[in-house]
Amino acid sequence: MELNGDGHLDILSGSYSRHEAEMAGLFQVLHGSKDGWKKPVALNGSDGQPLILPMGSGEGDIIDRICTRPFAVDLDGDGKLDIVSGNFRGTFAWFRGEGGGKFAPVATWLEVDGDKLSVGMHGDPFFVDYDKDGDFDLFSGSAEGGVFWFQNVGSKTAPKWKKGVTLLEAAGHGAHGADAIQFGDAHCKVPSADTRVWVDDVDGDGKLDLLVGDQVRLMHAAKGVDEKDARSKYAAWSKQQQEFFKKPQPEDEAGQKAWQTEYEALDKAKEAFLIEEATGFVWLLRGK
Amino acid sequence: MLMTLLVPLLAAPQGPQFGEPVRLRGGDDFVKVEAPGYACPAWHDVDNDGKKDLLVGQFKDGKIAIHKNLGGGKLAARQWLMAEGEIAEVPGVW
Repeated sequence: MELNGDGHLDILSGSYSRHEAEMAGLFQVLHGSKDGWKKPVALNGSDGQPLILPMGSGEGDIIDRICTRPFAVDLDGDGKLDIVSGNFRGTFAWFRGEGGGKFAPVATWLEVDGDKLSVGMHGDPFFVDYDKDGDFDLFSGSAEGGVFWFQNVGSKTAPKWKKGVTLLEAAGHGAHGADAIQFGDAHCKVPSADTRVWVDDVDGDGKLDLLVGDQVRLMHAAKGVDEKDARSKYAAWSKQQQEFFKKPQPEDEAGQKAWQTEYEALDKAKEAFLIEEATGFVWLLRGK
Repeated sequence: MLMTLLVPLLAAPQGPQFGEPVRLRGGDDFVKVEAPGYACPAWHDVDNDGKKDLLVGQFKDGKIAIHKNLGGGKLAARQWLMAEGEIAEVPGVW
């Protein structure tokens, strides 16, 4: 998107967290130029400080402001781009735009009927006027997967959200255990967990389509091992792993180090018969 | 009277409707990100050829893949998005 009005396409990204200070998923911008993209820089608010999502005061509320996923949109129709960002908690923070690529440093939360609008975990906003009534509707994926739609029943200048509609059921993170293993990727028929969405007319038929990214763990039998053998060896290995976790974890440093070494060796032993591959695919769901 | 009752039912909003998911290919392979996964797609014309391309952000190193739109429903194999002559890496993604 064109964030700062210089006529060059910019790329806006969220992040899990900065490492140099208290945890916060900063927004990063790769500014476009006539020579291509610049290296990413943190996006500051109009106070000159990095834009950071608000955070509750309770224990564990750090998840309000990590794992950000921003989307730039003029949500209140004032002619200035705003930023709405998802987070680890699954809620959505709205930074009002001040024009020229500047944003108010404090955000408010999107709400439905007085409660924070939420998708469970890992909010993933995408805005488009899907119902063609002049305002932006919200699409989102989530950590459990699936795709959700929140219709804007307000107006171009005052958004108001309806409760979410599930467009694609969340697949979850799948079952575990030797019996649940499915080898390869041929069984992948629908997006898995940790979905990220984009809406556009991808196939050029005039209807809006969904692009969905996901995260999936694939299993492959190791080289020279057939699938039946890999499955039975995995069952035996799983029992070994359960026994290992029954042992109390040492509290002293040397003991913890030995525990860690033993755990890593056990994990490595699995590679003799089973290769795990964590990856993510991109899916197209054509609009009807 | 019957029509008055039926029309609102038939016109009841059901939300957006989409077809069955299809895994996208880039070149000869499925579009796929590096471990540990977490594909984040975007659709935009990044090479100014008039066709929107597929961009896919990923967790590992915060890199962004570009699959150029070749037309006819085909996408090219992955190229990494570059920034100032190097593969772009968004910090803090992990």
